[in-house]
Amino acid sequence: MTDVSSLSGTSREVASKLFRARAHSVEVEARPRAEITHKPRKFNPPMPKHYYYYLMAPAIAILAFISLYPFFWLIIMSLQDVDIGGGEWIGLKNYTKLFTDARFIDGWILLAQYSVMCLGLQVGLGVTLAVVVNSSKYEKYLVTALLMPMMMAPAVAGLLWLFLYNGTFGWYHWVLQSAGILDSASILASADTAMYAIVLVDVWQWTPLITIIALAGLKRVPRDQLEANMVDGASPLRNFFAIILPNLYPVLLIAVLLRFMDNFRFIDSILVLTGGGPGSATKILPVYLFEVAFKFFKLGRGAAIALTLLIVTILLGKLLVRVFEKPQGGKG
Amino acid sequence: MASRDVVSYDTPLSRALSIFGTVFVAFYLVWTLLPFVVMFVSSFKDMLEAFKLPVVGDWAGMTVFFDFSPTLKHYTTLFTENSFGTYIMNSLIAAGGSAVISVIFGSLAAYSLSRVDFRGKQDLFFWIISTRMAPVVAVMVPLYAIFRSLDLVGTLPGLILAYTTFNLPFAIWMLKGFFDNVPYAIEEAQMVDGATRFEAFRSILPLVAPGIGAFVVLCVLFAWNDFLFAAIIGSGGAKTLPVATRELVQPQNIQWGSIMAAGVVTTAPMMLLGLVIRKYLVAGLTMGAVKE
Amino acid sequence: MFHKPKNAQVSRVSRRRFLELGGYGATMLGTGSLAVGLNSTIMSSRVQAASSDDAKWKQYAGSKLTFLSENTPPSFAIRDNIKAFYDLTGIEVEILTDDLPVVQQKAGIDLRSGKSDYVLNYIQDKPIGAPFADFYVDLSKMFGDETLPQDVDGYGDDAWFDNFLSACGRFYSEDKIIALPYDAAIAVTFYRQDLFEKYTKDFEAEYGYRLEYNENSTWKNVLDIATFFKKLKEGGADVPYGYAQHQGSFAWTTQLDIQRMMFAHGRWTDFNMDDKIGSKEPGPTNWGDEQSVLMLEKFKALADVSHPDNLANGTLELNTVYQSGNIAMQVQYHEFAASVEDEKTSVAAGGKTAYAPCPKGEASWILNGGQAVNGTNCGIGGIGINANAPEDVQRAAYLFAIWSTSKNIQYDVLKGLGGTPTRKSVLDIPEVQAAKSRPSAMPNALTFDAVYNFGIKDPNFVLGPKITEANEYHSLIASETQRMLSGEMSPADTAASLKDQIDGLNGV
Repeated sequence: MTDVSSLSGTSREVASKLFRARAHSVEVEARPRAEITHKPRKFNPPMPKHYYYYLMAPAIAILAFISLYPFFWLIIMSLQDVDIGGGEWIGLKNYTKLFTDARFIDGWILLAQYSVMCLGLQVGLGVTLAVVVNSSKYEKYLVTALLMPMMMAPAVAGLLWLFLYNGTFGWYHWVLQSAGILDSASILASADTAMYAIVLVDVWQWTPLITIIALAGLKRVPRDQLEANMVDGASPLRNFFAIILPNLYPVLLIAVLLRFMDNFRFIDSILVLTGGGPGSATKILPVYLFEVAFKFFKLGRGAAIALTLLIVTILLGKLLVRVFEKPQGGKG
Repeated sequence: MASRDVVSYDTPLSRALSIFGTVFVAFYLVWTLLPFVVMFVSSFKDMLEAFKLPVVGDWAGMTVFFDFSPTLKHYTTLFTENSFGTYIMNSLIAAGGSAVISVIFGSLAAYSLSRVDFRGKQDLFFWIISTRMAPVVAVMVPLYAIFRSLDLVGTLPGLILAYTTFNLPFAIWMLKGFFDNVPYAIEEAQMVDGATRFEAFRSILPLVAPGIGAFVVLCVLFAWNDFLFAAIIGSGGAKTLPVATRELVQPQNIQWGSIMAAGVVTTAPMMLLGLVIRKYLVAGLTMGAVKE
Repeated sequence: MFHKPKNAQVSRVSRRRFLELGGYGATMLGTGSLAVGLNSTIMSSRVQAASSDDAKWKQYAGSKLTFLSENTPPSFAIRDNIKAFYDLTGIEVEILTDDLPVVQQKAGIDLRSGKSDYVLNYIQDKPIGAPFADFYVDLSKMFGDETLPQDVDGYGDDAWFDNFLSACGRFYSEDKIIALPYDAAIAVTFYRQDLFEKYTKDFEAEYGYRLEYNENSTWKNVLDIATFFKKLKEGGADVPYGYAQHQGSFAWTTQLDIQRMMFAHGRWTDFNMDDKIGSKEPGPTNWGDEQSVLMLEKFKALADVSHPDNLANGTLELNTVYQSGNIAMQVQYHEFAASVEDEKTSVAAGGKTAYAPCPKGEASWILNGGQAVNGTNCGIGGIGINANAPEDVQRAAYLFAIWSTSKNIQYDVLKGLGGTPTRKSVLDIPEVQAAKSRPSAMPNALTFDAVYNFGIKDPNFVLGPKITEANEYHSLIASETQRMLSGEMSPADTAASLKDQIDGLNGV
């Protein structure tokens, strides 16, 4: 699961690219770096490597303990039939059966739809907000206000929105109904709209993340380019698409990947809001997995589903690490 | 450095855009903050009052939202009929404990990873971060088995360890970036002056202290807001606030008033913490990929 | 790692198996737990048949037990009263309460892994009992044990309301009793008497009979009532909807909601098996037959004239809709009467609500030649003992099981938080008799005639299907019915798809 040999460069190189220009390393940089690094190397005492390994050991041990064991357990379980009572080796049957399981396939499709909708809206709204906020004199206050939803526990957010969506006394429902967007049925009560309901909650909670990431990216848009373009008489819109957006692209990619993986990881608010219903309208794969493992107690099938999910997560993770490696901020 | 100084040419288009921008932000702020207002105000309402809605389409009727006699009973219920005092402590201990443990072990590991090179280091590093990316649902059953065999289920130490599964890799990953930023030459200089290796390590701690502090807070935030681990591994002896809040949905009665009050109790401290470490939020929430 | 428990030695067996499966990783796990589960300790002193009752109750003084229960009123009330049990026995019982799905998860993991962290379990009949029946102690062994105290009313079928013992205690065999009835939720019709009276003239003009509801009212009448109110409402009148279904996200109650109507018509059940004890091999399902398709059509027709939030409202939310005056009628569990009669939370309180049995089958909708009955179903929560626990722990737990289901405790719960008794003798208490009519000190008692003296009796009572795959079965029914109700699938396709999936599930 950890083959990253294709990644180029030593981690020191990667890290130095990644973590340059950190606001909080001011203290460090206050020391004339050149002067220090020019100290003759012959004074360096040799550093035995094992000394570092000792320091590393406890953390690695803890992680190994809580991640390798579950991983092997999943593989073993996925090859067994552990529906009721004892396990029985059944080879790859759990996997082959998945491909005829409509709920599994629907789960992937819904997960993809859900993620695309969430991310599309979040990036659209987030970037627009960032651009507007960036040129506002109240930036600090605005950002503070915008950040709030991220601080709420997703389970609590789910409950709050359940209250707001309620068809009998929910304020949000009332607003949507009064605005003529919904008829009298609650947004959660129809297979056509329930997906939008959970997307909206995710958008509400996580658009701010995209906003602050985009804001950070905007600060690094090279000023000379903008100025040059302005002098050429480019409109603000042109400026946005020609210069700002390309510069934002790398940070946005990171944000999108992170959010995408979080969609795999967190289903708290969906469990609270719809539990995957109505019908299977919001049964994205992690929700189905939750059902299989914790409601049906089909641990073998659950493990097989979990592994497919893990593999995709790891692939996305590798992609993310690759993006991390690239210098950000374009030509900045 | 900010690009905003640049945009100074006043054209009809840019003026239109700026008006659009203002309106957009205003709407967005309303949509983002209104749920908080509803939560906060509803936590002071009696159930039947909380259920009052104006007639559909009667926008002026919205004032009915503020038409109620405030009561503190939902808050007092939380602490008298439910043990929210205990749950707050549980949340604090579990989140705080895991944050401190993660940052201590994490900084040791991060420091060494930053200072030493060996074959397979990249693989190790990727493995560390991948443990944080694993879907919680996928690994919950085997984790439960481990925790159970160590008698950690339903205990605070168990929950602390559970939170460490995601906080430790986070801490290692983030803090390695910090240590990478501190020139090795500083330690060298110390050692040349006769300091031991440990003293040398200590000497650079002040340089990374603000960052470490921020990541303790972020770890607290992640752990505090967790639901699945707390529900499956913690609850019983170590019920935390999100789980306790969820449990107010009872088979015969959804106690909306109490749920809103519990929501306020759960969310408010994290909002304050979020403000305190705002500067580090971007770096923290993007796994260090983006800095402000 | 998960295996069938055999006896009290299980925890050792399970460790070995755990190591076998876990391989290298598991060797790091350190020492396992002792035979007694998490948070439980056991102390015992020997007693004989001739010992005093007090000595028998006290034989496990100093022990600690854990009871994992659903967060329902009886458990809260018993937790408040737990000192009485301590005084009687010297045993400390910790009662953990969670949402039913969480209880299900925790109990499942505990039982499956051969542990006994939760010595006492709340065994909700199908969600917990059906999949895990084999993991619980056969209580009938202890019923006659003279070294244990026994309840004066006994534990026979006659001691409980009709069918209760079978519902939560018997799974796949007549011989074993794995749980004693601890609480009950029985479906019954709640309707707004005041509104029915107010609109009866208009209704009669249109439908030719009075707007009334009683045990002879059929599902077709319900459809008429719902249609009538909906039309009135769409005409601009300030009236609630007529009816609403339980089609929200909790699969089990969704299945129960449709089961009532299916059973009312010709006593249709999902499988041809003994409905009361169920079967591990239920055989092919009856879904897809003519009767089931017609029922789905009628169910859809009813949904179309019901409250528009059908698909979002689980049982609990539905009750809130009723409490807030937005429906005129609901088929609801009788335990909700207390909340409906509470003037602080309900506009339907104060004599506006009347209670009657579930609707009857409509003769013209019966295609299978069966009988029209008032199909009534339930959730009977039992209390049972984890068979992974050592014998002494099981015996100590038995003390709590019989105490918590005794007549006096049930009466206390009913008086306090609004419980739902399971012992017949509770109904004989004069105060309970008096509470069956208004003004009632125990509002749940207002439903007792419709429930205990009618609904739960044969031929109205339906339980099934008790099958090991009950939870996945519920989930399939819920999602397919919901898809039908949202117009994605026709009733015939839904029935066919259900047949396909359910037979696949049961390996037919």
